[in-house]
Amino acid sequence: MNRRHQTLTGVSLSLALFLTLPAAGQTPEELRDDVLALTGPGTDGRAVGTPGAATARRYLISELEAAGARLLPGQDGLGIPFRFISGVEDRGSSLRAGGHKRFGSDQVKAFAFSETGEVRGELYFVGYGIRVPENAGVTYDSYAGHDVRDKVVVVLRYFPDDVQDETRSVLNRHADFRSKASAARDQGAAGMVMITGPGSEGAGELAPDGFDISAPGSQGILAVSIDGAAGDRLFAGTGVSLAEVQRSLDSGEVDAGSFPLPGFATLAVDLERTPTSGANVVGILPAADGSLDPPYVAVGAHYDHLGMGGGGSLNPHAPPAVHPGADDNASGTAAVLALARTVADSPLARPVLVGFWSGEESGLLGSRAFLRDAIRPDQLAAYINLDMVGRLEENRLTVQAMGSSSVWPGIVERANVPGGFDLALSDDPYLPTDSSAFNSESVPTLNLFTGTHPDYHRPSDTADKLNYEGLARIARFTGLVARRVAESDPVPEFVEVERAPETATSRVSMRAYTGTIPEYATEIEGLLLGGVMAGGPAETAGLQKGDVIVEFAGTPVLNIYDYMNALEAARIGEPLTVVFLRNGERHEVTLVPTARP
Amino acid sequence: MFQSLRRVSGRLVFVLPIALGGGLVSPVFAGQGADDESRFLSRIRRLTVEGRRAGEGYFSPDGKEMVFQSEREPGNPFFQIYLLSMETGDVRRVSPGHGKTTCAFISGKNGDILFASTHLDPRSLELQREEIEFRESGQERRYEWDYDSHMDVFVERRSDGELVRLTDAQGYDAEGSWSPDGQWIVFTSMRGMFEDELSERESRLAEIDPSYFGEIWTMRADGSEQRRLTHVPGYDGGPFYFPDGSRIIWRRFSEDGLVADVWSMNPDGSDQRQLTDFRAMSWAPYVHPSLEYVLFASNKLGFSNFEVYMVDVAGEKEPVRITTTDGFDGLPVPTPDGEGLAWTSTRHGGEGGQIYLADWDHGAALAALRSAPSRNQHTETPQ
Repeated sequence: MNRRHQTLTGVSLSLALFLTLPAAGQTPEELRDDVLALTGPGTDGRAVGTPGAATARRYLISELEAAGARLLPGQDGLGIPFRFISGVEDRGSSLRAGGHKRFGSDQVKAFAFSETGEVRGELYFVGYGIRVPENAGVTYDSYAGHDVRDKVVVVLRYFPDDVQDETRSVLNRHADFRSKASAARDQGAAGMVMITGPGSEGAGELAPDGFDISAPGSQGILAVSIDGAAGDRLFAGTGVSLAEVQRSLDSGEVDAGSFPLPGFATLAVDLERTPTSGANVVGILPAADGSLDPPYVAVGAHYDHLGMGGGGSLNPHAPPAVHPGADDNASGTAAVLALARTVADSPLARPVLVGFWSGEESGLLGSRAFLRDAIRPDQLAAYINLDMVGRLEENRLTVQAMGSSSVWPGIVERANVPGGFDLALSDDPYLPTDSSAFNSESVPTLNLFTGTHPDYHRPSDTADKLNYEGLARIARFTGLVARRVAESDPVPEFVEVERAPETATSRVSMRAYTGTIPEYATEIEGLLLGGVMAGGPAETAGLQKGDVIVEFAGTPVLNIYDYMNALEAARIGEPLTVVFLRNGERHEVTLVPTARP
Repeated sequence: MFQSLRRVSGRLVFVLPIALGGGLVSPVFAGQGADDESRFLSRIRRLTVEGRRAGEGYFSPDGKEMVFQSEREPGNPFFQIYLLSMETGDVRRVSPGHGKTTCAFISGKNGDILFASTHLDPRSLELQREEIEFRESGQERRYEWDYDSHMDVFVERRSDGELVRLTDAQGYDAEGSWSPDGQWIVFTSMRGMFEDELSERESRLAEIDPSYFGEIWTMRADGSEQRRLTHVPGYDGGPFYFPDGSRIIWRRFSEDGLVADVWSMNPDGSDQRQLTDFRAMSWAPYVHPSLEYVLFASNKLGFSNFEVYMVDVAGEKEPVRITTTDGFDGLPVPTPDGEGLAWTSTRHGGEGGQIYLADWDHGAALAALRSAPSRNQHTETPQ
């Protein structure tokens, strides 16, 4: 029996009416109630492992219980906890060098990815400490011709400043803290000591600890940063100053910058990694025939956000404030909840697994833990993810990861006939959201998205700015896709999409800021701007939403990857030319990057 | 109809100097009639997704079904015909699956589906393989549409699912559509290429451009009483009955194939009237159910920039531009209730066209037509 047809024959209304009638459980009002509950008092931005997230989780559990969701076999509740490292504490690191005094924790700071322990070795300065792999098109090796085995290497932070743009972007890619630590480790060094050079921004400052919640483990070497005063002492008696050495390195002379330093060092690091607990919420809605047996059609959304701000916030220097994350991702959470209620009322041909993930903002912690510990990926027919779906504008819905199964174009086409969206489609399943964790486990995925906006990752991402009518339609569309996945027999086949070359540089290491908001999913050649940050360099230059950047600082831009690469060549305060299309016409403007606010 | 686009793009490469390429995308007449498309179109949605391209979507009279052509099955690089339920989104293939097909239309009388197909050509599978190999070779074709002389008109009878052949003349028979009462079919035939006595020049043309011989024909629903309505050199094609059956709308290319305009005539071929004279390629006309205006596509703004336009049904006023988005926009078809517009577009940025649907503001269309200048007052330079 096909329930879809049964439902539809009863509705012989005009097409327009048919499309605007939301199913039960998916009215805009209900979705707003859910978003308000998820962003309301006590939720405090729902950061993973915090009481705010627990408040939101209790709401989700009680709503799923009310809808009649069952437990995932093997679990004892709808909430499924997972452990993660929430932070790292430096309990006292030190460096003693030659006849100098011991530098203590006021001058020495361990990197969060350092090993714990103590090593002794000769000191050896290796310039910027960068090794570019052979195939990168640029030859740069701070270690060439120098044996640092069992030595403690001293490196400069950042990368040489006055090199050509193409070289610059390659160097930048291999200049982050971890890459330098890995290079030192691979050369057999016993430890790494980093100095922010006299010629760099923030000269002499200790570096941030580089904690990455999604990869909190050790890089396999002791690694610290020291302040400028300690650094100067290491160079005492060499006859050269660090400032001079940095100047010659910055002019491109790699060889000038590697030499032994006098003395023997003892480097000690004592780190403690703090374990914390977060939790996903997962329920099963039985199939039409009552079956609870896999394969499940999985639909999910992350319910966590940034809490009071922190590293993920685009307001990092502002005082801590609740980041309500109404669009990111109370919107997707509410839509999945709505879908769960609808499926409970009219079940599908297969059981549906609904998942609400935590720790997405910290690096897909919850979804990865779920896939590792709670389910076998072959128990999932497909996974549909909703992340930021509350800002439907001009009827434009982005559907990503279309390449992850051959069934998607047909299913999305059929679902969108009643769904009625102006679709922006993209094949790429390697997305900065939970669906990519499922893709890594060979599960066909789809991700729905209504686009970035200036409130993204800011305290201003509030519930009053969502398009609830649109959100209700997206929930309904998701239900139509899920229904067709449930009726797919055999289950959708997984297609491994070839990964675009890895070029992305983390936000942290990207020093120049342009204030553009790229539209990620688009088949358009060039980079479509989803918006520009108010008061940012792009806005000042006259760029606006809808412009398509085709050339940036002399580099042709065909897609987001080209753009990210081109960005690496940008320097703070130095004007560059941006060529873009507006209404099909080519324009040129001058943009002056600033430091990231 | 869609194949004309292919032909047009072929001609772009063939006839025009390269210099005309991308530059013409910039709107020469930007100031005039270039108000945003949102004044007529709202809630734009994409109807087709699957496959390399889709187009020529035509509605059943109750608006519950749309028939369209799409290249979406592995092994066949040509269009096949599909029927889409506008209520559930279910899609099924109507045509046999092999060979080339084009231009389907649903009968208002019994739902019978008319289309043209080459599946009876014994070489059709071989041609599919050749086309796939050609594409894999990475070469570019100048003419993508070849006006296959094996193309004939067929009907899927909905009562028993049988496929019935209606034409068997040598030469391309296609681009058919039903009269509103389902009694008649109007179509394009190039059979004159084989049946008429050709001048030396025409014999040469037959080898490089069969479309020169395209003429408008009518026949009864069972294929009887086949009758030629047009007798003008150059490609006449893409005919449709008016929604009340009173007249036929079609597009006529100039003899040299460089200019096309929208025309209308009585169902017996009398009283042929020209509705547009952009001196560009204006084609794919379709009459709005109100009978007040005709929607069509034109490259008035540049050879590579097709947009949807409309003109009053008598052709007395200057046409009004509808679409304003980058990429191809053409093959406009209003929904039967007159409140929606379907068309084919590459606005998603892909290579092939896909079918889009939007809410249509009929009131705004009438107002825009009322304020359009008379046709004889226009002064713009020919392209």
